[in-house]
Amino acid sequence: MDSASPQPEEQAAAAGSPSEFLKNIVGKRVKVRIGSGVDYHGLLTCLDGYMNVALEETEEWSNGRKTAEYGDCFLRGNNVLYISVLEAL
Amino acid sequence: MDDAANSGISEPLDLVKLSLGERVFIKLRGDRTVTGVLHAYDAHMNVVLSQVEETIHIVDVTEDGNPLPPRIEKRNLEMLFVRGDGVILISPTQQ
Amino acid sequence: MASTILPLELVDRCIGSPIWVLMKNEREFTGTLMGFDDYVNMVLKDVKEYEVTPEGITETELGQTLLNGNNIAMLIPGGRGPKA
Repeated sequence: MDSASPQPEEQAAAAGSPSEFLKNIVGKRVKVRIGSGVDYHGLLTCLDGYMNVALEETEEWSNGRKTAEYGDCFLRGNNVLYISVLEAL
Repeated sequence: MDDAANSGISEPLDLVKLSLGERVFIKLRGDRTVTGVLHAYDAHMNVVLSQVEETIHIVDVTEDGNPLPPRIEKRNLEMLFVRGDGVILISPTQQ
Repeated sequence: MASTILPLELVDRCIGSPIWVLMKNEREFTGTLMGFDDYVNMVLKDVKEYEVTPEGITETELGQTLLNGNNIAMLIPGGRGPKA
């Protein structure tokens, strides 16, 4: 998403829409993959319309190996390829 | 977002706000990382740091195109402005 | 002009059905489309991610996933992926 154009946040969010999904996954364990293929596994603290993400208890995985751990971490949204939930909704 | 456990983090930028004056780790595009004391930031994630250590991970390639073992180069900078579009990740450093 | 259809109307008609997403790089996704927005960010379920390399296709299964629209190149309604 272009960082100059945030999502309109207050629209009648249809069930299954991206904004509805984002509301439902706060507090859940997620995997965030960035464009380079590096993964961040952690507890989703919050996110915004740019897909900026804050994670807790974050593990960085690259080429199948854990490469770092971060207590808290901010990921800039433009790098995000996808956000996938690792637990049931 | 009613997450009381997160001491007032209601949007991702709050995590950065709470790190003002603290030492942070920043991962940048191009296999660079910096750590430094966070003085200022904006919505683009342009950032000003002091007492900076920059680390560059370099993989040199031989003449026939084979990668050599990765090499790490470090340097220290007193004050640094980081343009936001290079930022991948910001994390308060432990301790 | 009665038969014209906007591109995003076609995507809207795919909600609830399988879809195959081709990214600008060598990455592809399949899944059931749950929803999307104006940027064509997409929510998919029962997702498979494919990385197409010269050595072959690596496959990763994912749960419900929000795919950033930024790097999407093409969508194939009803598509079941590079292996089907």
